[in-house]
Amino acid sequence: MDTQWPRYMVFQQEGPDQPMVHNGTVHAPDAELAMLNARDVFVRRPEAVQLWVVLADVIFTQTQEELEKAEPVDQSTSQLVDYYVFGKFTQQAQCRHIGQVQASSPQVAVAAAIATFADKQPLWWWVFPASTVLKNESSESDPMFSAARYKTFKDQAEYPVITMMRELRAKANHKDTENTK
Amino acid sequence: MPFLPFVPLWREVMERTHQYALSGYLIALADDELILGHRDSEWTGHAPILEEDIAFANLALDEIGHAKLWYELAADLLGEDKTIYPDKLVYFRDAAQFRNIQLAELPKGDWAFSTLRQYLFDAFEALRLEALSQSSYTPLAEIATRIRTEELYHLRHSQAWVLRLVLGTEESGRRMQAALDALWPYARALAAPLPGEADLHAAGIVPSSAALFEHWSSEAIAFLQSANLSIPSSFIPHPSSLVDSRRVHSEYFPALIQDLQAVARLDPEAQW
Repeated sequence: MDTQWPRYMVFQQEGPDQPMVHNGTVHAPDAELAMLNARDVFVRRPEAVQLWVVLADVIFTQTQEELEKAEPVDQSTSQLVDYYVFGKFTQQAQCRHIGQVQASSPQVAVAAAIATFADKQPLWWWVFPASTVLKNESSESDPMFSAARYKTFKDQAEYPVITMMRELRAKANHKDTENTK
Repeated sequence: MPFLPFVPLWREVMERTHQYALSGYLIALADDELILGHRDSEWTGHAPILEEDIAFANLALDEIGHAKLWYELAADLLGEDKTIYPDKLVYFRDAAQFRNIQLAELPKGDWAFSTLRQYLFDAFEALRLEALSQSSYTPLAEIATRIRTEELYHLRHSQAWVLRLVLGTEESGRRMQAALDALWPYARALAAPLPGEADLHAAGIVPSSAALFEHWSSEAIAFLQSANLSIPSSFIPHPSSLVDSRRVHSEYFPALIQDLQAVARLDPEAQW
């Protein structure tokens, strides 16, 4: 039996003028705990103003290469739902929010995204129904996000461990050399 | 903040007896946070999943951070140097001088035990901090407001876990009931007055622990019952022995203090 909890994708907005970007994944038994885990793992620092979690399995993705080989999609206009559209523009970049389309299936959503956002050419499209996203409640944003604002922390560089150890070793070596003279 | 200009006056205005009493009260409050934070930190590297390992490390840091804020305010009231005094209190008091409640110092137990203890504390803290944020002593009210924001997140986190563990599997439910049976008697000490509380409460500076406890126990009982836990019938110790409950520690406490202080005491003059 697979005892692993499902994976949730975590999207985070670092400031009011920033886009939502994919930040990583957490395992969780349900969306509410995925939200709490996402907060503890990703937004202790740096700061965030919004957090989304989405079950990884509901995200439909297509790369440029896959699109070239893909069959034409059925452009049915029945049962349209809202899809969020995200894209990864370089290998290193995080997948970021592009916009929103209405579509009858994930494949159609990608086709609609390509038509709607013709000026955007990500290497990789991600789409998922808006209804599948759990967003943090804005009334709870202070308890969720204030830690990153108030907590002071020491940067790793402020602990001069490497230089200190080098100096200590040099001192010890020097002593050894002195002793063997 | 229109009242800021009055803050420096407060130390002059507040009666000396109140200053002294409040410093003792705050040190007890800080001791609860410190000791609970220490127990939380023991999960680092041992939590059942990575995400909760990080969450408990965060909890530990938050609680110890809250302790520091209270120790610093106590230092101000006593005219001590607040960059030094908190370390003196944490690392160079003997176990018998700590005023935390035993609920905080019990060994971390299993995951159910630590999670449920955290819930019991978080729920009480949320009420106490809400009351302290209304304190007539402004510096106290301001710190309480700031800490409360973080505690509300703690409470959400611990409530979420209590519900899932109780309603999860047969084993997780059984362990949660066992944890409640073990913790409930100790939770009674939340009703005990903190040092100096009677005078401070009369002066509108701090709330009454007994009143907070009434509020807390009705909330906690409703929540725990909604999660299908049965509330143990006995509260030990008996209320009459509560007054001194913060002076008495469990058999587990000396080892905790030894662990907490060992490095600092190796070289008291060391610069960190």
